[in-house]
Amino acid sequence: MEYFEPMRLLPWILVSLAGAAGWGMLALHRGETISAAWLVVAAVGTYLVAYRFYARFLARRVFGLDDRRATPAERLNNGRDFVPTTRWVLFGHHFAAIAGAGPLVGPVLAAQFGYLPGTLWIVFGVVLGGAVQDFIILFGSMRRDGKSLGQMAKEEIGPFTGLLAMIAILAIMIILLAVLALVVVNALRDSPWGVFTIACTIPIALLMGFWMKVWRPGRTVEASLGGVALLLLALVAGRHVAESPTLAPIFTLSGPAIAGWMIAYGFVASVLPVWMLLCPRDYLSTFMKIGTIVLLAVGILLVLPPLKLPPLTPFIDGTGPVFAGKLFPFAFITIACGAISGFHALVASGTTPKMVRREGDARLIGYGGMLMESFVAVMAMCAAAVLDPGVYFAINAPLAALGGSLESAAEVIRGWGFTVTPEQMRALAASMGEESLLARTGGAPSLAVGMAQIFAGAFGQGLTALWYHFAIMFEALFILTTVDTGTRVGRFMLQEIAGHVWAPMGRTSWYPSIVIASALVVGGWGYFLVQGVLDPLGGINSLWPLFGISNQLLAAVALCVGTTLLVKSGKARYAWVTLLPLAWLLTVTLAAGWQKVFADDPRLGFLAHAAATAQRVASGAIDPAVGRRLIFNDRLDAVVALAFMAVTVLVVVASVREWVMVLRGRKPVATAEAPFVETAYAG
Amino acid sequence: MRARLRAVLASTAALLRRIAGMPDYAAYREHWLRHHPDRPIPSERAFYDEYLRARYGDGPTRCC
Repeated sequence: MEYFEPMRLLPWILVSLAGAAGWGMLALHRGETISAAWLVVAAVGTYLVAYRFYARFLARRVFGLDDRRATPAERLNNGRDFVPTTRWVLFGHHFAAIAGAGPLVGPVLAAQFGYLPGTLWIVFGVVLGGAVQDFIILFGSMRRDGKSLGQMAKEEIGPFTGLLAMIAILAIMIILLAVLALVVVNALRDSPWGVFTIACTIPIALLMGFWMKVWRPGRTVEASLGGVALLLLALVAGRHVAESPTLAPIFTLSGPAIAGWMIAYGFVASVLPVWMLLCPRDYLSTFMKIGTIVLLAVGILLVLPPLKLPPLTPFIDGTGPVFAGKLFPFAFITIACGAISGFHALVASGTTPKMVRREGDARLIGYGGMLMESFVAVMAMCAAAVLDPGVYFAINAPLAALGGSLESAAEVIRGWGFTVTPEQMRALAASMGEESLLARTGGAPSLAVGMAQIFAGAFGQGLTALWYHFAIMFEALFILTTVDTGTRVGRFMLQEIAGHVWAPMGRTSWYPSIVIASALVVGGWGYFLVQGVLDPLGGINSLWPLFGISNQLLAAVALCVGTTLLVKSGKARYAWVTLLPLAWLLTVTLAAGWQKVFADDPRLGFLAHAAATAQRVASGAIDPAVGRRLIFNDRLDAVVALAFMAVTVLVVVASVREWVMVLRGRKPVATAEAPFVETAYAG
Repeated sequence: MRARLRAVLASTAALLRRIAGMPDYAAYREHWLRHHPDRPIPSERAFYDEYLRARYGDGPTRCC
């Protein structure tokens, strides 16, 4: 029995008040710059209250987490993948696995609406949606001996849904890899410093791979420390490469050339043994990621920079240059990771559930881990908002909108109501060690400029260019890690699906099957990548919304599985915890998908853009061959968006059918949970 | 003093490995001795190979 103790509530009242004060400052200070501190206070205050009250409600009432129940890690302990792990260590592992480039890039792009809409969605979306999704999938998988999302969909909803989920995951992976690769291409084109540093990661990873596998087996930490040291050396050396008249041209690559190299790299990484390239890169990027995120948090707290971006821009009406579409629904699909990300359901039903030591720990790991990712997204929003709005749009708007020169760009941006001078952009590029920062779309360069300004403010002004390239290197490093692990995972999934058609293709270690499946996966994302690079609007314009829609729709699938788990375990009265975010996600993604396909505005709708291009071909304004390619891609994008929507609607329908059958008593209230076994741990 | 430093370093390394998702060989040895005392312990090399196969064998291990 818990008694009402006012003194125990006091700290929570203070935390709530602090959070409310943060939101109040953000809401009331229109027209003058305020400190990023208020953003951080509002976000952290909300997280703490949500974790203390809502996550506890979920853990105790809804899921009934029971510390007396032995977890799979305890029951199936094999010392390898099933290992009981201390909760803070597992929190670190889970966070490192879910956090990537997504929460960094999305908020930067969504900053075209101003910092407020994105921040509200990041913070309240995670508390009521994203963290709930990660938590319930982790809980469901933990109660089922670590089963994957696909397996749970198959067992709890039906085999057809399981297959649909699998195809959806593969398709999403292809779009995800293409768009992330495009972010890297845009960050590295015509940047010898960046290209050199990233190129160095390949020999460094190979060296680490041989170290860990051949010379000193399993000595991951010493290899990683050496790897990080070499990487920082490569970063410093990059400046000299960029300044050298003989070396700089070798490493100055155009967009299509970088795309070609990335496609070749993805194929090789998928075919080579994992220990050589993939595993060492994975370590390198894990440690770099945790280190840099901690550094960024320290930097923001030390500097507490003023937010120069307005809370709301005029572009909420859908006329923005970074991506087309109004605030609703596009703010909610542009920021996918950070608020809610379907991809996390794959991680939360992967390695993590096999390592949870006590059931109660799942609250910190599942819900808390996602809050942490949301905080990363808030920091990315801060980094974008410390830029002058004029600079932000000069970096993030496509070249086609800005015109070819700094002078034309300054003129266009003045027309949007913001000021930036050619001298300002020239000085900024020079201080970052780059030729030009104009129209570097994709979010990574503007994030790097923001981060460089924060780091330079916190740790010394002299090293701005180094910090910029550090930030670029760190983003490119873990995007490339996603590209190689993702290609490999896609290859396995394709092999499994193809194995149903022709059995030998299903043998994952049969060499011809490996090569064919890898080539198909690389060809898939490579096609979208190349089209994105050649796209006159910069590609991010059409690919990022497609990625956002697909990721959010995967989240909808995960929430359907979560709701089914609740309904089938007799907790239907609590099903609103997943139904609420599910309803919201379906609303925004289906609305966004529909608009992307059918909107009349050629900037927004794929089909309208195809029609407008056809007209320009007919009037002789563009080359017919280019026109045909653009029209084909618009139609392809439309088909992909419609296919995502169709798969999701099918999964939702199948799930609702299952819920109704259970609630009407035509199916038993029973799930495939592993039976209760009492824990042997004391206390 | 040196022994203590060594122990701290070893436990820090194990912690970092765990965060990166790699199981700890020392813990595995202990597990093996407790549960299969009659069978020979796999070498660290075999343990590492098996981990790589399990870790990157199937399913996504990280997010965007």
